[in-house]
Amino acid sequence: MSDAPILELADVVKRFGSRTILDGISLSVAPREIVCIVGPSGTGKSTLLRCVNGLEDIQGGEIRFEQTRVEARAKSIKAVRMRIGMIFQQFNLYPHLTALQNVMLAPVVVHGEDRKIVEERARALFEKVRLSPRINAYPAQLSGGEQQRVAIARALAANPHLLMFDEATSALDPETVGDVLAVMRDLAVEGRTMLVVTHEIRFAADVGTRMVFMDQGKIVEDANPREMLAHPKTERARQFFSSIRG
Amino acid sequence: MNYTFTLRTVFPYLGGLVAAAEMTLTLSVLAILISLVIGAAVAVMRRSRLRVVRFAGAAYVEVMRNTPLLVTLYIVYFAAPAIGIRLSSFTAALLGLSLNAAGYMAEIIRAGLIAVPGGQFEAATAQGMTMGQMFRHIIFPQVFRTIYAPLGNQFIAVILASSLASAVAVEEVTSWMETVGANSFRFFETFVVAAVVYVVLCQTINLARLQIGRMLFRQPEARR
Repeated sequence: MSDAPILELADVVKRFGSRTILDGISLSVAPREIVCIVGPSGTGKSTLLRCVNGLEDIQGGEIRFEQTRVEARAKSIKAVRMRIGMIFQQFNLYPHLTALQNVMLAPVVVHGEDRKIVEERARALFEKVRLSPRINAYPAQLSGGEQQRVAIARALAANPHLLMFDEATSALDPETVGDVLAVMRDLAVEGRTMLVVTHEIRFAADVGTRMVFMDQGKIVEDANPREMLAHPKTERARQFFSSIRG
Repeated sequence: MNYTFTLRTVFPYLGGLVAAAEMTLTLSVLAILISLVIGAAVAVMRRSRLRVVRFAGAAYVEVMRNTPLLVTLYIVYFAAPAIGIRLSSFTAALLGLSLNAAGYMAEIIRAGLIAVPGGQFEAATAQGMTMGQMFRHIIFPQVFRTIYAPLGNQFIAVILASSLASAVAVEEVTSWMETVGANSFRFFETFVVAAVVYVVLCQTINLARLQIGRMLFRQPEARR
């Protein structure tokens, strides 16, 4: 990985009141890396993603995305957000818009792109997430897995340089998880840069180029996924992986 | 007790009634629209991150809800000239009515804002939308869908409250009623006619609201 990092976190600290959620996180992500963040719940994995696009502010350290310093309250944050696609656990589709309108809204309104060009691209994206027949459905008419695939299309529509998945499959029933993971796999093959918070260890091992194990607001291990799964260096990681394998 | 109810006695005055009904309708519709805008702004203020702004929003709501509309109208029309603000009776009535109704609208809209899941704000923010874009494209469309029914109550309340505009010399339905009653001494008839006119006006606005709602909200009811 000789490329300059697309994202760099240096000693990032996040506190809610007196509780420390992120306790000195340093992480560097190169283009085309697929970094899977795993670990027990409540260790700050989602918070980490939310700090990267300024949904949360940080109390210490520094985050840089493509040379821009990420500051939640600064004007520059908009340009950062426009280049990062985020996929949420609860999909967060806009219920009053159709699937197509959901995908088209930000490119037209935020990026100021031509509606015709955006629509063409949106239709291609529906093809990619295998939802072309459902293009005019409203979110309430779609299953969870379908909604999440629309959400992925929505994130892709803005041509992001980084995709962040915040437990994208955790709210889905087991049958539809596979559809969403398949789409995420396609994106990985395309060479997208991805930051993936997940409990799907198998997916992380197959698709991830790197695995980051977090516990209590700290990065405990950072290695190749298969290596980490086969030979966790710390006792904490060993415990975690054995417990989730049941 | 031998009053003979004869509607015919009111007939000569019906020409004036049409103009009066138009005035009530104009005043009410404008007040509804203006109070929606002010109410939306105040409701958003009440969710601000800044305490001062939240307080200002709350103070507005309390002052307007705890002041009789008649007093507000008197202040705007009779007292404001003392500090150099001279308004026509129509402008004064529209302003007083709008400011007063906005206090109630703000609370209804606030309820609608609370009902929008936090994830909607986050998704819009994460996409790089400005506050204005987010409220316009994502939040308010959902708010108005949620509060469309209680809003109907408030619309009717505004129409009925517009009757107080007669107190600041606006020639609307209630002032027609008072004038014609006094001139003809046929109070019972004029009161009944005015009541019927109000019922018709309220129903008209309510039907218009329902029709607009059918055009606006075509998407199926959301699962929550």
